[in-house]
Amino acid sequence: MNVLKGVLKEELDNSLRMKKNYERELARLPKGSLIKKKIKGHEYYYLVVREGGKVRFIYKGKVSQQQLQKYKQAKEYRAKYRKLLSEVKRQIKFLRSALRGKEPV
Amino acid sequence: MEKSQYELCVEVLRRLDKAGVLKHIVLVGSWCLLFYKSYFASAKYAPILKTRDVDLLIPQPSAISVKTDVADLLKDLGFVIGFTGSRGYIRLEHPQLIVEFLVAEKGRPSDKPYPVPQLGVNAQPLRFLELLARDTITAKVKHLSVRLPHPAHFALHKLLILQRRGKPGKIEKDKDAAVRILEALGDKGERDFVKRVFNSLSSRWQNRIRRALADVDSKDLPSIFQ
Repeated sequence: MNVLKGVLKEELDNSLRMKKNYERELARLPKGSLIKKKIKGHEYYYLVVREGGKVRFIYKGKVSQQQLQKYKQAKEYRAKYRKLLSEVKRQIKFLRSALRGKEPV
Repeated sequence: MEKSQYELCVEVLRRLDKAGVLKHIVLVGSWCLLFYKSYFASAKYAPILKTRDVDLLIPQPSAISVKTDVADLLKDLGFVIGFTGSRGYIRLEHPQLIVEFLVAEKGRPSDKPYPVPQLGVNAQPLRFLELLARDTITAKVKHLSVRLPHPAHFALHKLLILQRRGKPGKIEKDKDAAVRILEALGDKGERDFVKRVFNSLSSRWQNRIRRALADVDSKDLPSIFQ
């Protein structure tokens, strides 16, 4: 039983550390998403961000392929990290309850 | 769909192989227990609990001639960089797996990380790891050839480090793993090999192993370590 408890405790410590690391990586990613608008036949880009519960469109004009790629990649990583972060949170919940056993909360 | 833990581990190894790094690495730690299954195919062997940690020993860091950024190599799988403690050992973390790099500690003990610039990581130097790099075996993991410590070295190493393990749970887990492997080796007819490896160790190391096995209830094992 001690072996199992030791492993679970170690895994809980790992998951707690991992949670912080995913949160750090998410905070590092550029905020918002680039969207394209076509106005009078010309294409312009806007950065859509949420600030204080409101959605804001920040004019970016014409952007380079490199910047487009950067935002596209950031969007992919954000989705991936959020999914993995929620997995880590589920693990933490499970490990905490498994370690608590019949002890009072 | 996210890859299963095993598939993810194989994918990590596949990428390291493609980058020309895998041949410089010996997989140590609890994942060995799983990969030993094929080695003990004919013997009584059931792998015990393994953790998420995939420990990769670099026996000769200077022998790595290729340059690759391992963190970048695994980034799109969802691995993020984590640092252990205040010493700054790099770990690549994923909810399913944690990849760590180790080197054998030589000379005076130091808690400084060992930089491996070819891989863009810091490795953790640990005592007695050189034992795991002796007489390695190769296991087929999917289509990959993965270097593992010989089970005899693995088991003796577990017993050697037992007293350095702080947590009682870890001590029990390591001792259990070592005993299971030694018994499986006996079952496979490799008692003499274990004895030879044991005899090749310094008397200090031999005494450590004997002490670690003092309270183990086994008819077979004490005779090997006379």
